Amino acid sequence: MAVAVTMVRMKLAVLRHSMNGQRAGFVVMGGVTGLVLAGATIWLGLSGAEVLAATYAVWMLGWIFGPAFAGGGDETLRPEFFTLLGLPPRRLASGLLAGAFVGVAPAISLLALTGLTVHGARLGAGAALVSIPALLLQLAVFVLVSRVAVALLGLALRSRVGAIGAGLANGLILALLGQIWVVFVALGQSGGVPPVVGEVARHLPSGWGVVAVEAAGAGDWARTGAALAALAVLVALLLAAWAALLTRRAGAARTAPRGRVPIRAATASGAVLAKELRTWSRDLVRTHQLTFALAYGVFFAAAPLLIGIPDMLPLAGPIFVVMAAAMSANLYGTDGTALWLTLMTPGARDVRGRQHAWLLTVAPVAVVLTIVLTAVVDGHWPAMIALLVALLGGGAGLVPLASVYALIPGTDPHRRGGNPLRSTEEDGAVTGMVYAVLALAAVTAVPATVVAALYGWAGVAVGVVTGVLCYWGFGTLAERGLLARGPELLETMRTGRRPPLAQGEPRKWTRFENLPRRDRVIVGVCYSIGAIPLFPQGVVPAIFKVNGGGARSWFLALYLPEPWQWPTIVFMIALGVAIYATAVIIPFRRKAVAAKEPGGERATVPAA
Amino acid sequence: MTPALETSRLRKAFGEKVAVDDIDLSIPQGSFYGLVGQNGAGKTTTLSMAVGLLRPDGGSARIFGADVWSDPARAKSLVGVLPDGMAMPERLTGREVLTYLGLLRGLPREVVDQRAAELLSVLELDAAEKTLVIEYSTGMRKKIGLATALLHAPRLLVLDEPFEAVDPVSAATIKTILRGFVAGGGSVVLSSHVMALVEQLCDHVAVIDKGRVAAAGTLGEVRGGTTLEETFVGLVGAADGGSKELAWLSR
Repeated sequence: MAVAVTMVRMKLAVLRHSMNGQRAGFVVMGGVTGLVLAGATIWLGLSGAEVLAATYAVWMLGWIFGPAFAGGGDETLRPEFFTLLGLPPRRLASGLLAGAFVGVAPAISLLALTGLTVHGARLGAGAALVSIPALLLQLAVFVLVSRVAVALLGLALRSRVGAIGAGLANGLILALLGQIWVVFVALGQSGGVPPVVGEVARHLPSGWGVVAVEAAGAGDWARTGAALAALAVLVALLLAAWAALLTRRAGAARTAPRGRVPIRAATASGAVLAKELRTWSRDLVRTHQLTFALAYGVFFAAAPLLIGIPDMLPLAGPIFVVMAAAMSANLYGTDGTALWLTLMTPGARDVRGRQHAWLLTVAPVAVVLTIVLTAVVDGHWPAMIALLVALLGGGAGLVPLASVYALIPGTDPHRRGGNPLRSTEEDGAVTGMVYAVLALAAVTAVPATVVAALYGWAGVAVGVVTGVLCYWGFGTLAERGLLARGPELLETMRTGRRPPLAQGEPRKWTRFENLPRRDRVIVGVCYSIGAIPLFPQGVVPAIFKVNGGGARSWFLALYLPEPWQWPTIVFMIALGVAIYATAVIIPFRRKAVAAKEPGGERATVPAA
Repeated sequence: MTPALETSRLRKAFGEKVAVDDIDLSIPQGSFYGLVGQNGAGKTTTLSMAVGLLRPDGGSARIFGADVWSDPARAKSLVGVLPDGMAMPERLTGREVLTYLGLLRGLPREVVDQRAAELLSVLELDAAEKTLVIEYSTGMRKKIGLATALLHAPRLLVLDEPFEAVDPVSAATIKTILRGFVAGGGSVVLSSHVMALVEQLCDHVAVIDKGRVAAAGTLGEVRGGTTLEETFVGLVGAADGGSKELAWLSR
C-alpha cells in the first residue's frame, strides 16, 4: 500500500506543478468537454441498457486508441523513475495503477460510469448498490486496458513488421467505427441501433457493468455475481499483463533495420530532403502513423462494399492524404530541439525540403491508389483528380505551417524512454491539432471539388492552382515564421512551455494564458458550456416550435406546459449569451484594472 | 583587433528570475577562453544568446564584428557551436549527420565527404558506422556534436560543457584538436565547472556568478597567486567558506 500511496501523492504533486499557463487552460477545456460528454452518457443511459453498454464501449475504445495518436497516454509517473528501487513488477504495476487513477480523464470516466448507478436506481435499491463495485471495476478496466494497449503498441513499434501491423489493425478498427452505419445497414436495420449491436456491446468488457446492474435489477444474483467476478478477474489479468509488459519496456526504442543507403545529395535542399526521407522511413512511429493513415483511407472507402456500394472506393487516396497530413502536423515538435541546427544555418531552406519529403512520401501512394480505384469503379475522374491535387498541395502547405504556428512542445526523441509514442506531454493540444488539420486540409480542397462537380475538368485546373498556392504560400509563411520566431520556438521546445513574457513587455490580459488562474477557469468553463443553453436548449427548440414538429428529445422547454415554453426558450438564449459575454468581459475588466496599477499594462506578469 | 566574440549588456530574465544580468564579455582572437560558474549561474543562457539560439531581452552579441541578430548569415558562418543536451537529426548515422550539415553549410560534396571521414576517424566514431544518433551514448553524442561544430572550419568555437560524459581517451583527443585549432589562429570559448580542466586548457577565464561577471581576464590575472579553484570558491562560495558534511553518512 505504501508504494501506491506514495505514487498517488507524487502524481498529485506533479499535476499541481504542471497546472500553469496554457496547459492549465487545455486541462480546463478538456475537463469541461469531458464533463459534457459524461453528462451526455448518463442522459443516454436513461433510454436503456443497450445504449448505455454501447456508449461505454465507445469510452473504452477512446481509452485504447486515444493514446496511440495523442502523445502516448498519461505518463506523468514513468516506470523508468522507479527502476532503481528494485520493486517487484506486480508492486510497481499496482503502484503505478493507483497513480493512474489520479487525473482528469479517470475522474471524467468515473463520472460517466455513474450512469450505471442512475440506471440501477431505476431498477431498485439492490441494483443501485451493485452499481458501485461495478463502476469501480469498470474504471479499473478502462485505465488498465489503456496501459496494456500502449505497452503492446510500444513493443510492436520496435520492429518494422510490428509498426506496420499495428498501423493496419488500428486503421481497420477506426475506419469501421467511422463507417458504423454500413455495419448497421449490412445487419439489415436502417435507422436505429440494431439489437445485435446492443448484444455485442453487452458482451464486451465495457458492458459487463451494465449486465451486473441489470441482473441485480431482475433479481438474478448469480448473473450479477458472475459479471462482477468476470470484471475482477479481467482487472487481475490486465494488471498481470501490464506488470509483465513493464519489465520488457527497458531500453530505447529500436529503429528500422540496418542496410543504410548513403546520402547522394550535393545541395543544401537535397540534404534536407535526404534527411527527412530517412527520418520517414527509419522512425517506426512515423511508419506506424503512415500505415495507419493508409489503412484508414482504404478501409473507410472500402467499407460500403459490404453493402454493395463501390462508389466511395476512389476516395481512399484523398482520405489517406488528409489523414497523413493530420498525423504529421506537429512535424517540428516531434523533432524537438534539433531545430537549433536549422537556426545555425539560416540560408538553408528547411521548410521546402520538408515539404518535398512529405510529398514524396505521401503522393506516389495516393496517386496510384486514386487512379487505380477510380478506374476500377469508373468513378468521376475530374472530381477525383481535382480533389487529390488540391489535397496534396494543401497538406504539403499545412503540415509545416501548423507545426510552426501552433507548435506543441515535445519530448526530444532521445529522451522518450521506453514509450516511443510519448512525443509530448500535451495530449489535449495534439488531439486538437489533429482535428484542426483534418478540417483545414479538407477545406483546401473545397474550391476544386465544387468546380469539378459543376464544370468537370475545369476543377482540375482549380485544384492545381489552389494546390500550388497552398504549397507555396503556406510554405513561405512557415519559412517566415521560423525565421522570425526561431529562437522562441527553440526555447518552447527546450523548456516544454511557451516563453514567459519578459519584464516590461506589455501584459496582454486579453490573452488567455496571462489571466490569473481563477479567471482562466471561469473563462474556460464559460466558453465550453455557453453553447448548451444557447443552441440546443434555446435556438433549436425555438426552430422546432416555429416549425411545429420534431421530438421533445432533451429540450427542456418542450417538456413544460405551453405558456412556459417561449419564456424558457428566451431565458435559455439569454443565459447562453450572458455566459459568452462573461467569458469575453473578464479579460477586458482585468485590463482596465491593470491599467490603473503602477506600471499599468507594462507591469510584470505575476507568476502563475 | 576585432574580438572573436563580444557581448555587451546581454540580459535575459525568465519570469521573475534574472538569469543573465548585463553581461559584457570580450573574447580576443586566438584565445582559449574558459567560462566558469556554478550550476544555474547563467553560462548556458549567455552562450545561447551569444550565438543566436536564444533571443536576449537586451544587449547585443557580435562575432568578428558581425551582429548575431542583424547579420545572422555572416555571424553564424564564422562560428561552430556545441550546445548542451540538444537533439540532433536522430535518425541519421554519424556520417549522414555530417554530410547533411556540411551540405546545409554550403560546402562542396567532396569537401564534406573528406572532412566527415577524417572527423569520424579522429573522434573514433567510425566504428559505429551504422548506428543511428538516437542510439548513441551520451559521450558519443558529445563527440558527434563537436564534429558538427568543427565541420565547416569556423574561426570561433563556442562549446557548452564539451567534456561532460566524455571518456579520458576521447577527452585527450578533443584537447589536442582544440589546442591545434587555437595554435592555428582559431578562438575557443568553453564553459565548464571543472576548474582543473579550465586551468589546463585556457589562457583566459571569466567567472560568472548569479548572471554577472564576477571576474574576467587572463588566467594569471584572475587566479593571482593561488589556484583557480580557490579563487572561484572565494568569489562565489558561501560566506562561511566551509562545506557541510552529511552526518548520517559516516558511521
